[in-house]
Amino acid sequence: MSKWYPKNGRVIFHVDMNSFYASVEMAYNPKLKGKPVAIAGNPEERKGIIVTSSYEARAKGVKTTMPLWEARKLCPDLVVMRPNFDRYRFASSEMFKILSEVTTFVQPVSIDEGYMDITACQHLGSPLDIAASIQQRIKDELDLPCSIGIAPNKFLAKMASDMRKPMGITVLRKRDLPKKLWPLPVKEMHGVGEKTAIKLNKIDIYTIKDLADADTFQLKRLLGINGERLKDRANGIDSTPVDPDAIYEFKSIGNSQTLAHDTTDELTIQRLMRQLARKVATRLKRKQVVGQNVQLMIRYYDRKTVTRSVKLPEYIETEEEIYITSLDLFENHWTGDPIRLLGVTVQDIVEKDEIVHQLDLFTYQKEAEKEPLYQAIDHLTEKYGKNPFKKIEPKSDDQPRTSFQKDFLDDFKK
Amino acid sequence: MKFIIQRDQLMESVQNVMKAISSRTTIPILTGMKIEANENGIKLTGSDSDISIESFIPKEEDGIEYVEQIEPGSIVLQAKYFPDIVKKLPQKTVEIESEGLQVTIRSGSAEFHLNGQDAEEYPQLPQLHTEDSFEIPTDLLKNLIKQTVFAVSAVETRPILTGVNMKLEDNYLNFVATDSHRLAARKIPLEVDTTNMTFSSVVIPGKSLNELNKILEDTQENIEISVTENQILFRTRHLYFLSRLLDGNYPETSRLIPEQSKTVVHSPTKELLQSIDRASLLAKESRNNVVRLSAKENNQLEISSNSPEVGNVMEEINVNSIEGEELKISFSAKYMMDALKAVENDQVRIEFTGAMRPFIIRPIDNDQILQLILPVRTY
Repeated sequence: MSKWYPKNGRVIFHVDMNSFYASVEMAYNPKLKGKPVAIAGNPEERKGIIVTSSYEARAKGVKTTMPLWEARKLCPDLVVMRPNFDRYRFASSEMFKILSEVTTFVQPVSIDEGYMDITACQHLGSPLDIAASIQQRIKDELDLPCSIGIAPNKFLAKMASDMRKPMGITVLRKRDLPKKLWPLPVKEMHGVGEKTAIKLNKIDIYTIKDLADADTFQLKRLLGINGERLKDRANGIDSTPVDPDAIYEFKSIGNSQTLAHDTTDELTIQRLMRQLARKVATRLKRKQVVGQNVQLMIRYYDRKTVTRSVKLPEYIETEEEIYITSLDLFENHWTGDPIRLLGVTVQDIVEKDEIVHQLDLFTYQKEAEKEPLYQAIDHLTEKYGKNPFKKIEPKSDDQPRTSFQKDFLDDFKK
Repeated sequence: MKFIIQRDQLMESVQNVMKAISSRTTIPILTGMKIEANENGIKLTGSDSDISIESFIPKEEDGIEYVEQIEPGSIVLQAKYFPDIVKKLPQKTVEIESEGLQVTIRSGSAEFHLNGQDAEEYPQLPQLHTEDSFEIPTDLLKNLIKQTVFAVSAVETRPILTGVNMKLEDNYLNFVATDSHRLAARKIPLEVDTTNMTFSSVVIPGKSLNELNKILEDTQENIEISVTENQILFRTRHLYFLSRLLDGNYPETSRLIPEQSKTVVHSPTKELLQSIDRASLLAKESRNNVVRLSAKENNQLEISSNSPEVGNVMEEINVNSIEGEELKISFSAKYMMDALKAVENDQVRIEFTGAMRPFIIRPIDNDQILQLILPVRTY
């Protein structure tokens, strides 16, 4: 079997669920199969946009992030559904379970995609066989389609999984680059967003081939260190490992929301700020973390966007603390122009376990009343290991809305 | 205005006065330094409206002549350039001469021409009219400052805590500072009769005291301290240091200081300080700089610190005595080191009342210095 595996080097899979939310809905309700289905944020309001859609809808031109009214115009018989996050969460965790049975080197990157390093899986067969069996199991057991890219590194695997959808398996070797990768327009490349693509076009880089041949210094001047990285990737070079622990690294938690109408009404703004603070506080709590920096994003009616942040002397976690801090930032930096969107982000995040609480001269007596309790805990900790009592956090029914795709990763932490 | 002055003397005065000058001020002329010459000598003035400093260079003192050929007058010079010019002049003497608002600075063959501003436009420093004055030796005042000012709050959440509370009580002069996480207090007996003084408690901005301490020489000569409702003046022979006071009532801290203790440790100061310093090497890596102290049997203190990502450190030190209950307590290494340094004694006495309560550090035979630290609670 080893002839399928490189002597030096790795075999990486990128598993990408095809139109995940829509597919999960179809698995729950097979009557939807074959119909144009779309999942949208808030069907009633202006900000209702398409989160994902089935291939049948896409065939009619429906795209992700398209406003609902536009999608309905393109596809009048579109079945629009609100997201059922619990279903997606469950399907996702079942999917990753299947991946983990092949190898422990699984790195989830969002709710519906992940990387696997199967270099050490020679005993299970050729990479193509393994990919086919994963795809089949996910189809049989979960009734969900996926595409798998096979390549010597993460970047190429990601590009490969994109090449045949749905239910594709694509091998992308370095020798395939000139034919399969390089002719693609540069904006198709993973890691090149709209803005980067425009910048690249300005220096006459239109295809991935152009990027692969571009001058490193010029790229660095244009895009900083990321320019060099992109050039390497265009040449098929990507040394980042599949890191199962990557999901532990997050540095900020934030939410943003577009207003129903551009507004200067302070009451509306405060209400939205309160909502955002509540959402961020809920997510901080879920993750058992606290942060020391609050960033406020204001997008004005003309799409001009500013972010302002403040570093705090203490770690914060509650809705009230976040609300007051962001309101402060707002009052200091708002130009008075109509606002379209607000975002609140807590940065400099650490796990609660890692920090300590500095007692205060003027309030310590309140804490000191709990002293016997802490002593008892200390005692038991010494006897039985790390704190056997955790503050019991009430399980909230609050469904996180946006940024759900990243938060779900918590489910995979031990 | 014209005079010839010894460069070293001028430099020292300029540097002192610069402590009060800020490039960010709402009154533009305060970015400058006022220079006044009269038959007795030269006076330099700087101010940021919170602090004002006057430094006087006498024409002659103890038979040494510092200033010659004085023609009286005054001018305001840009403080951005003046100190560096004086510092880099080639000769030991400097000639400064003003013609209207043009100032010429000569030393050896170097000659600077600077544009000055009219001294008439420089704000008058307030004259203090008060009977509330007393004197203490300058080096003692420096000690009072050094042992307390580090504990003032660095954040403005409670502005009053950014200052040091100066109190007169039963013929004692008291300095107290706290950022609410630790407290530093020092008192000295006053030999003068204070019964006639009307002030009893004022709060001096920590920044002012820091600057004052930098300027004051370590001498036993007396310094005069005068207090009004909103200002305080420190005056030595050639220095006049005026600071505004902080508005508001300083919180009553004495009742927050524990009176009984459950565990008492007597320890050599230096050994303890060094051990905490070592433990904090790893503690610094984590965000909190926290070390843990355990009082054990056989007069052993265990100092330890743990940073999950870096490693851990543990050290046992022998102390003179440990009386009372066993104890484990965690606290900021920085606060502890600040406090131990302020104690100024070979031996310290540390009194604990429990892991969640403040503990007190004092020199072994002296009740006039008190350092108090609030521990941390680990989650």
